[in-house]
Amino acid sequence: MSDLFHNLILGFGVALTGWNIALCLIGAMVGTLVGVLPGVGPLATIAMLLPITFGLPPVGALIMLAGIYYGAQYGGSTTSILVNIPGEASSVVTTLDGHQMARKGRAGPALAIAALGSFFAGCVSTVLVAALGAPLTSVALQFGPAEYFSLMVLGLVFAVVLARGSVLKAIAMIIMGLLMSMVGSDIETGQSRMAFDVPELSDGIGFVVVAMGVFGFAEIMRNLEQESSRSVVHAKLTGLMPTWPDLKAASGAIIRGTTLGSILGILPGGGAVIAAFAAYTFEKKVSKDPSRFGQGAIEGVAAPESANNAAAQTSFIPLLTLGIPPNAVMALMVGAMTIHGIVPGPQVMTKQPELFWGMIASMWLGNLMLVIINLPMVGVWVRLLRVPYRMLFPAIIIFCAIGVYSINNSAFDAVMTALYGVVGYWLVKHDFEPAPMLLGFVLGPLMEENLRRAMLIARGDPSTFVTRPISGGLIALAVLLLVLAVLPMIRGKRDEVFVE
Amino acid sequence: MSEGVHASPDAPHRGLNISNPRDFYGGLALVLLGLFALWASRDLPGMHGFAFGPGTAPRMFAIILIALGAAVMAVGYFTEGTAVERYEISAPALINLSYIFAASARTTAIWVVAAVLLLAGIALAVIGLMGPKRNLVRGPLFITLSILVFAVTIRPLGLVLSSYLSIVAAAAATPEVRWLETFIWGAVLTGFCVLLFPIALNLPFQLWPTNLSWQTLLSFH
Repeated sequence: MSDLFHNLILGFGVALTGWNIALCLIGAMVGTLVGVLPGVGPLATIAMLLPITFGLPPVGALIMLAGIYYGAQYGGSTTSILVNIPGEASSVVTTLDGHQMARKGRAGPALAIAALGSFFAGCVSTVLVAALGAPLTSVALQFGPAEYFSLMVLGLVFAVVLARGSVLKAIAMIIMGLLMSMVGSDIETGQSRMAFDVPELSDGIGFVVVAMGVFGFAEIMRNLEQESSRSVVHAKLTGLMPTWPDLKAASGAIIRGTTLGSILGILPGGGAVIAAFAAYTFEKKVSKDPSRFGQGAIEGVAAPESANNAAAQTSFIPLLTLGIPPNAVMALMVGAMTIHGIVPGPQVMTKQPELFWGMIASMWLGNLMLVIINLPMVGVWVRLLRVPYRMLFPAIIIFCAIGVYSINNSAFDAVMTALYGVVGYWLVKHDFEPAPMLLGFVLGPLMEENLRRAMLIARGDPSTFVTRPISGGLIALAVLLLVLAVLPMIRGKRDEVFVE
Repeated sequence: MSEGVHASPDAPHRGLNISNPRDFYGGLALVLLGLFALWASRDLPGMHGFAFGPGTAPRMFAIILIALGAAVMAVGYFTEGTAVERYEISAPALINLSYIFAASARTTAIWVVAAVLLLAGIALAVIGLMGPKRNLVRGPLFITLSILVFAVTIRPLGLVLSSYLSIVAAAAATPEVRWLETFIWGAVLTGFCVLLFPIALNLPFQLWPTNLSWQTLLSFH
């Protein structure tokens, strides 16, 4: 316990310097600014904003990224409440009651409770991340290549199970991502693979290129097809602060949402979505009057918002301790870390404690910034939402183009991003989910490395993955999950959850 | 790199009568991508002893992708499904690929391929923009062109002119474009980009053209 406090103090010592606070604030601000734009989810936001952190020192960059991350999450909630357009799956539930509240002129309390709920969830889960970090890391240090490989398989299976639509297509997307990650130099021999002697491909396809193309540009192409009419709530925002009865009604929901979210977030594979849905459904079940839900019940905003923030935060646990991104957003964070020369995993905590704990402290700081900047700035976001899309999207495009170009000063990368935009657009049209692809793309090199090592250690015997106890357990769990996901009965339930 | 080529637009209305074209053609594209990867990794050494070679994992994943793609195709063939939401991406895909070929061209043959792809892309774009589906064509096309304009002009013209041209090209992606507004807004955005990237973020950008000549405009490296 004293260790925990010692570590947190170390972390806050790192995060609470003037410069880092400023970075966190700027990150949260631009994150919200971009995340608020309709149709731009957290994934797209982070992908677009990644380049601006590249010039910073590693700790500062990660702190700014954490700010961007929370800003993007919260920006998505703002759009859900005010415009009824969820930026991503995890804020779909927020639209149900949030937008109804906004229509009744209670957008202020809805936004405030979302921020306060998120902040509470953030406080709790920050402590949880800090507390679980150390013990999980010691477990992780005992992992060999076979265990790592199996764990990644399990993570990918989670991603498949939690993706919308066909299980088969989600697996195909993962494999496509893995295959794309093979382009470039072979890790062991350095031999060029599938790069066609193109110098720009010799280091592999850039991770920002794929993410920004598939999530940023493709999203814009999709949005351009739709009519631009959006129903921004025009009612004046009066009374920002929730009333006493509001707070009383919401507090229970916030606590329940936080608990559910913290637990579900640790699971690999996109906990935030499930957490938000689960928290909403649970609130509806325990409520004395379930019919209020969907009509603007404040619990219907408080619970999923706290849950999705708690889950977003605890999903850092598998990333920071095991080095395995549990979902596509975390995969983006891995990409960003590797660009700064940090390989996420158990060694980060032991070798660079100030980085590890500084990042955990900055999560809390990021949450605080959200409350500080968002409540007074709601008016600004509302005005931003009224800017027509025809003016917004060229701005997004040019920022992305300059951003992706500036990573390597490579015009080739910019064009590759455009090509990936077209690919991403095509994928969506054919009902393939791009998120598992990105996860596969990021995990690819790590998986291949561990697979090769494990096979070498086992002298070419693939049964090593099943016979080693931890690895075998993980594989068994993965298979079980996959079977469950394909069973018709559970499938129906799963689809129901995503349709609601 | 190859995905764009295999994408078959408005396929559901041609040829075979497939009941679930979205899955069928989606799976087909994955199979083709897998085959392409197999071909691309053909001369990489495979297993030696029980150690993986550089080519083992790519071939393994390519084969799995082909199998899964075939399974998706089978699902598409045997089930009823919704029609593909319409899209037109052949022109932007061809134009992008043309740039990629040109940027890495070492032999005349590749230059020729790049030129053919570019001409085909332009022809398709013009036909598309004249046709009834012009609003489907313009989104992906002008976004691609905007990036391409940026990529080609950033070195020779500098950040200011390049971003301005790129913004104007992007604005054309929606039928709601208002040109006067775009010209003014483009200038404002360009100013903002100059303040943000070279000044605030201290990234090394040249702002204005130096010695403009056709040679610099056409050199990709």
